[in-house]
Amino acid sequence: MSQNIPQELRYTKDHEWAILEGDVVSIGITDFAQSALGDIVFVELPEVDTELSPEDSFGVVESIKSVSDLYSPIAGTVVEVNSDLEGTPEACNETPYGSWMIKLKVASTDEFNALMSPEAYKELCDNQ
Amino acid sequence: MSLLKTSLHQIHVDLKAKMAPFAGFDMPLQYSSVKEESKAVRSNVGVFDVSHMGEFFVTGPDAIKFVDYLITNDFAGAELQKAVYSPLCREDGTTIDDLIAYKLETERVLICVNASNIVKDWNWISSKTKGFNIELTNESSNYSLLAVQGPKVEEIFKAIELINDEDGLVYYSAKELTKMGEKVILARTGYTGEDGFEVFCSHEMAKTLWSKLLEKGAVPCGLAARDVLRLEVCYPLYGHELNDTLTPLDAALKWTVKTQKDNFIGKEALTGLTSSKRLVKLSLDKGIPREGYNILNMQDEVIGVVTSGTMSVETGKGIALGLVDRNKFPENKLFKINIRKNNIEANYHTKAFITGGHK
Repeated sequence: MSQNIPQELRYTKDHEWAILEGDVVSIGITDFAQSALGDIVFVELPEVDTELSPEDSFGVVESIKSVSDLYSPIAGTVVEVNSDLEGTPEACNETPYGSWMIKLKVASTDEFNALMSPEAYKELCDNQ
Repeated sequence: MSLLKTSLHQIHVDLKAKMAPFAGFDMPLQYSSVKEESKAVRSNVGVFDVSHMGEFFVTGPDAIKFVDYLITNDFAGAELQKAVYSPLCREDGTTIDDLIAYKLETERVLICVNASNIVKDWNWISSKTKGFNIELTNESSNYSLLAVQGPKVEEIFKAIELINDEDGLVYYSAKELTKMGEKVILARTGYTGEDGFEVFCSHEMAKTLWSKLLEKGAVPCGLAARDVLRLEVCYPLYGHELNDTLTPLDAALKWTVKTQKDNFIGKEALTGLTSSKRLVKLSLDKGIPREGYNILNMQDEVIGVVTSGTMSVETGKGIALGLVDRNKFPENKLFKINIRKNNIEANYHTKAFITGGHK
């Protein structure tokens, strides 16, 4: 299984990555996730201004044979969605870390800081 | 219970296939990608290990008569060395399985059944033998089965000397021949809509064939691609369009129910019956229909359910088969499919989503 886990990102147990810039967190799916899903053919993302709580589903990513929910790891307000992915869902396979899905404006960075480190995420992947 | 393995299991693992349990077997879902595998079958050749499927043999003077009695399609009338696709029904017309029966010889018939139904089919068929001069054997574990599908299959089979022109294996024919020093059943059948063969052979020969085919450029394909391919050409799948409570008429298989036949199990129930359902073929311009999603009319009333859905590799659209209540079938033929929070307008198709190139 794929083991590309960039050092500069944080991770979730649902195989998503996140990065903090100011008070905005960008979220996408990891290399492990895209590899497990196979050919990604459909991405559904929320409307801008959607309020999300931790564990809220904010969209779906579909491969030819499967549907997977996307979960927000943290609370925040959707300020931008990567609608390019709707036309080019295969980008999630090709460049998972270049294919952010949503940007969340957060009130506090605590939840972000509590996400998994690259080391902890690598261990999770190794055990799956 | 531990999963069963086909003779090619280690080869799949070595090829780093994604494996998953299917009908009690650890089977390859995909190797490279579902997209690439589907495309290989439509434009080149793909090879599937479908050794999990069941093989029953009926031998003896009444072999043909017995199989004709068991299944709803016309088997007695089929030519020798031909294959016949048919539902297998109960007296009440409900469907036990769908299968292909191969008329190999006047006193020898091969029945190939779905892996998930082997035990159920065996129990049913073996309970119906009374009065027939036949012998019935379950050879499922003795045979490997490779499905080799795609427009270049004939070329490749000739190149590895598995067939020649004299064999006369035209579409839907089946013969037991001696190849590579052993007996093998070659059938020009499949589940993809493309030209192709199904090869029933020994476990050892399956391994040899697999590597010879890959050497010639055949692409290993998994069960995921197989499902996409069959759905694109609208072939029903047991457990989806057919099940223990549905009749073949529900799955638009009236053409396989020959009520003018002398006698067969289910004849009385199926004669003159009108299905309470209609099988519909729907596609979406945006979104992917999945099994279990509701089908609605333009007033957003639920009128049916998706029985199989996927993204079509060939058309790039979401495609579905679904069962709609016959008395709620909209005259305007306008449908929607509910996906999460949205009811999305669907395109209604009278023909299969694509036309395969089978001969």
